[in-house]
Amino acid sequence: MLRVAIVGCGKIADSHAAQIGRITGSEIVGVCDREPLMARQLAERFRIARWTTDLGELLATRPDVVHVTTPPASHFDIARTCLGAGCHVYVEKPLAIDANQTEALVALAMENGRKLTVGHDDQFTHVARRMRALVQRGYLGGCPIHIESIYSYDLSEPGYARALLADKAHWVRRLPGGLLQNIISHGIARIAEHLTSDSPTVIAHGFVSARLRGLGETELVDEVRVVISEAPGPTAYFTFSSQMRPSLHELRLFGPRNGLALDQDRETLIRLPGTRRKSYLEKFLPPLDLAWQELGNVVTNARTFLVRDFHMKSGMKYLMEAFYRSITHDTPLPIPYREIVLTARIMDAIFDQIRMRQPSEVTMTMRADTERV
Amino acid sequence: MTPHDPSVIGFDDPILVTGAAGFIGTRVVEQLLQRGFWNIRAFVRPSSDLTRLESARRASDGAGPTVIRGNLLSRLDCAAACKDVAVVFHLAAGRGEKSVPDAFVNSVVTTRNLLEACVEHARLRRFVNVSSLSVYSNRGPSRGLLDEGSALETRPQLRGDAYSFAKVKQDELVADYAARFSLPVVTVRPGYVYGPGKEAITGRVGVGSFGVFLHLGGGNPLPLTYVDNCAEAIMLAGLRTGIDGEVFNVVDDDLPSSRRFLRLYKANVRRFSSIYVPHAASYALSWLWEAYARWSQNQVPPVYNLSVWHTYWKRTRYSNAHLKERLGWTPAVATAEGLRRYFAACRERLQHA
Repeated sequence: MLRVAIVGCGKIADSHAAQIGRITGSEIVGVCDREPLMARQLAERFRIARWTTDLGELLATRPDVVHVTTPPASHFDIARTCLGAGCHVYVEKPLAIDANQTEALVALAMENGRKLTVGHDDQFTHVARRMRALVQRGYLGGCPIHIESIYSYDLSEPGYARALLADKAHWVRRLPGGLLQNIISHGIARIAEHLTSDSPTVIAHGFVSARLRGLGETELVDEVRVVISEAPGPTAYFTFSSQMRPSLHELRLFGPRNGLALDQDRETLIRLPGTRRKSYLEKFLPPLDLAWQELGNVVTNARTFLVRDFHMKSGMKYLMEAFYRSITHDTPLPIPYREIVLTARIMDAIFDQIRMRQPSEVTMTMRADTERV
Repeated sequence: MTPHDPSVIGFDDPILVTGAAGFIGTRVVEQLLQRGFWNIRAFVRPSSDLTRLESARRASDGAGPTVIRGNLLSRLDCAAACKDVAVVFHLAAGRGEKSVPDAFVNSVVTTRNLLEACVEHARLRRFVNVSSLSVYSNRGPSRGLLDEGSALETRPQLRGDAYSFAKVKQDELVADYAARFSLPVVTVRPGYVYGPGKEAITGRVGVGSFGVFLHLGGGNPLPLTYVDNCAEAIMLAGLRTGIDGEVFNVVDDDLPSSRRFLRLYKANVRRFSSIYVPHAASYALSWLWEAYARWSQNQVPPVYNLSVWHTYWKRTRYSNAHLKERLGWTPAVATAEGLRRYFAACRERLQHA
């Protein structure tokens, strides 16, 4: 039985506790939050035997794995302490607030012979795994030529937007990347998975949307467009938007032969064949093919629902299971360290340019590749 | 209440109202000002809209309230707000929507901070804890009547309702502090507070989550209280002498049935299709939903379950006898007039949508 502990008992900790509870062979042995009421409510609701406000006390119970679900600014110190205590660590995204901290944690994990992962669970939803399987089977006809990752965040909900905009001391504002830091790593990690070099060129443009400017906001960047390129290797566009509708979470991969389009919100995957018919049939058969594929997506989703595996956080459960398996059976990590660090480096480059408004090149000095599961 | 009625405080004593920019909080401030209590600290979030509070200030010739922008999660903010305060009206709460931790942190942790600050200053003469009717389990031998003696929810975590969970825990916390530190606490549990500024149809009537409005309330009386009536009850609970430790449920007189409310809403605001689901069917569906959620390890969240059914859709009568008897409260706005104002506000909101 894998003994799991959770540090940080806020909103996302609920999802962690629920998914850990669904994994055979694991149990939550304790939770910790510096606010005792928060620690106690999580323990009561999920029937966890021990709660504490002291991280040292939690680690003294010798958990095998610690999940860090605190706000991002505290990830580094807590993860470092847990790794130092001999625990494997699962950190909610973003792993740390910059690439230096990320590299330091990876290095510490490797030194201590412990394992580390980050909560990029969107990469492990059912549809993301179907896409990965197709890529690995060669559907694209080679490495991706171009990638498009769109990640939206709906700020139209007046309560949250108003709170964030009015509170100049909001913790999100104190992150180096502001609002972006807490959100975009999902979309960037999807690109990093397919990059082959360690030093892609990143050109980023970020701005405060007209809507937020109209509300008096001048600092909170909520619109970002990024071009990522490497030679040789794919190019990528990353779009983050709080304003465009529909609010999308999509990934499109274009290879030398075919393409793939993933829609995370609808859990659909569409094959985009590269061949064209030299007749008017091109106007009729591909739409039919699309309809057929969408019907297939409906059937696949319904089947997954019927076998009770279509939870909102199914990707998180899969990521946890793969991480735990890497601990118990020494299988490869679900997210290679190289991807984790590269994601952090690209994010740093984006934030730097938004602050400085000039392009920069990512440089990678660390190689710690492992195979993706 | 007249200026000659006995009160736990004088007109010059400092009063703290948390959630003062909210739907009910603004009305509590207005009523306190109207009764001559001028030394009011209106505690609001940094993001709060102060339009209505500003109007109250103008209406009282600029005599108050003093607006304090802060966060009840900050002990320092709580300490500053509570300094030398004689009465606290604690209305601030987190709805949390679907997140229990969100609701909990913004209802329970904030309340704890406020109580700690009150204990420290030790000048408190009344702490009014504004709770909710949803803390009752509505089970047990009540013969369909819900009053202050009815059983409380003991396992709120099973209801799948973040707001109710937080309110149950908030009440437990307040009771604990009252017992440990002899705090003069009065708890007020309003029903569904309605009026201009809150145009939604209460879930006690039905739900529209499935593409068509399912009418679940049927002939049930709705535990409505018009916002001004509710504010007056809360104000009285903070001022009346000799009621420490008591609980008051707040509902108006002449409560409409769910069916009548829906008919009036359609006639006065907008037409839409609805399907009536009889009580036996809604009970069975709630049971099925709960069983499926459990069997599927919450593949669908357990938002419909028997606990929810008992709280919101079981046929229940409500009493305001204790409120009338002990506080001398009567609803100043009759239900017919309250509904007329509410429907007018709904129509206006629709026209501007």
